[in-house]
Amino acid sequence: MNAVIAQSDVVTAYGWGTEVLWAGLMSGRTAIRSTDRFAERKFVSNQVAMVPDLVVAEGESRCMAMLKQLLAPLRWTIDPKTALIVATTVGEIEYIEQAVLDDSPEKSSFARPSVLLERVKEFLRLTGPATVLSSACASSAAALTRAASMVRHGQADAVLVVSCDAVSEFVYSGFSTLLSLCEVPASPFDAARCGLTLGEAAAWALVTRDDHKLATKDSPAILGWGNTTDAVHMTAPDRNATGLTRAIAKSLAMAGRAPADVDFIAAHGTATIYSDAMEMTAFRNAISEPRPVYSVKGGIGHTLAAAGLAQILIAARAMSLSVLPPTVGLNHPDERAIGWVQNTPTKLQRSRTALSCNSGFGGVNTAVLLGSINQ
Amino acid sequence: MIRSLAWYCDTHYGVYASRGRSFAKPAPPADELLSLIGRPVKYFSRMTGETKSCLAAASLALREMSPPNAVGDEIGLLSAGAEGCVQANEKYFTDYVTSGRTMGRGNLFIYTLPTSTLCEVAIALALAGPAMYVHADASPLLTLTRTAEQLLTDREADGMLALWSDSRAAVCISLTAGPPVDPFTVNFTPEELAPLPLAERLFAMVSRP
Repeated sequence: MNAVIAQSDVVTAYGWGTEVLWAGLMSGRTAIRSTDRFAERKFVSNQVAMVPDLVVAEGESRCMAMLKQLLAPLRWTIDPKTALIVATTVGEIEYIEQAVLDDSPEKSSFARPSVLLERVKEFLRLTGPATVLSSACASSAAALTRAASMVRHGQADAVLVVSCDAVSEFVYSGFSTLLSLCEVPASPFDAARCGLTLGEAAAWALVTRDDHKLATKDSPAILGWGNTTDAVHMTAPDRNATGLTRAIAKSLAMAGRAPADVDFIAAHGTATIYSDAMEMTAFRNAISEPRPVYSVKGGIGHTLAAAGLAQILIAARAMSLSVLPPTVGLNHPDERAIGWVQNTPTKLQRSRTALSCNSGFGGVNTAVLLGSINQ
Repeated sequence: MIRSLAWYCDTHYGVYASRGRSFAKPAPPADELLSLIGRPVKYFSRMTGETKSCLAAASLALREMSPPNAVGDEIGLLSAGAEGCVQANEKYFTDYVTSGRTMGRGNLFIYTLPTSTLCEVAIALALAGPAMYVHADASPLLTLTRTAEQLLTDREADGMLALWSDSRAAVCISLTAGPPVDPFTVNFTPEELAPLPLAERLFAMVSRP
């Protein structure tokens, strides 16, 4: 019995819906824009990928503004007993900003991850078990693996994974301080890449058994996964890529697949010099022979906790259409990425198994292997 | 199965283990904490008090695992806590604002994730399994231990450490797969759902003749 993604949706800087995200990436045009939002702050970049025309009510966070609109169709249809996992890194971080800037310390408590969890639970009128999960920028991918595990072990019929992170001064200043931001839109796996672009997104996926009434023959199956930690450094990736290599190997072992079975790879691909290099090392370690690789972050920026789910939904679409989107922003591949990444849409001869990878601060890594129910 | 509960707080530390090696002792002076951890730890002096407590509790729990941990073993770490990292976030952003709002401090920013503390513990103890913050208000410790058991069942780790901490105390539960050796279960009552009271109760438990 497999766990599958029966339903899903996403909002990114391209707009609302997986189809809009897919079309945006396939167009090869980036949704990253210059912003004057932080003009007075003298950060190292003014590039950002924000959800266009997002209406944020007074006192509301950008995360909840995204989630309310995105989750609205589920509000009256989802089984109230559905288990919930909310994945985020900093969640409703505006409340911390307001607490400090407005000297209103009482607002800080609204930024607790458990408060966001309760808001989502209440909005959807869910009564089942609810958990908030964080694993840095691998959060939503890790949450998806927990959901798949719960479904496989019969602990839940359906698990709703919800993820969001928004662009904020808090996060922007931090990444600027760490010199992780690029002055121009991110160009993953490019020889001249100079850092990431921050983005925002919200996404959800309903994970069920493959024989659930909401699952179809086209629902992508979560075949296997691996979660590991580098245990090397708080911010820098392991140059030997040991952690991500192990995560990929675990995902293959759980799925009973060989490296040769991987048809393409949805990479984390942040466009930072060391992270992209680490990923390519892991792919070479774990898969050996070149496979088509792409990153969505040249299009939608680095959407932090939501990054994993956004790229998994696109990987599922790519698998069903047997076409890969281009790596937006890629001009001249890094030497180690030549033969793996491409900047044009790629028609696949075989698209039965997709590998999606995410890594994050603290050295966390998650690899998810997707496939078709009908294999 | 749960192998041990270890704790470290400002007054005492100890272990309640499944193989009868339970003990409780007065907490060592701060400058002797490394001897309790039992291995050199890079940047130890820069760590927050909470991270040091977590490191001490995790080290104690790790020793009770079977088979004993060796570098490279797939030991995972979970943590929980309703506050997440709100205090660290406040600290970073307050410093950033008071410093002129153009540049923050990287060494404060890196602690602004719910997983920061446990990843620091993972680095210090070379634990290479999954690392996740998993919190449920309704049943935080039960959620932690069940998630840990699930990760073991899925063979994502050979052993799991589940951390529960605040600024004054850290409690760490160690779990492994495999056949039970004098297993025990833990029933947490609502008043125990804070690390310091829980640590104090554990202290009382193992001090009993």
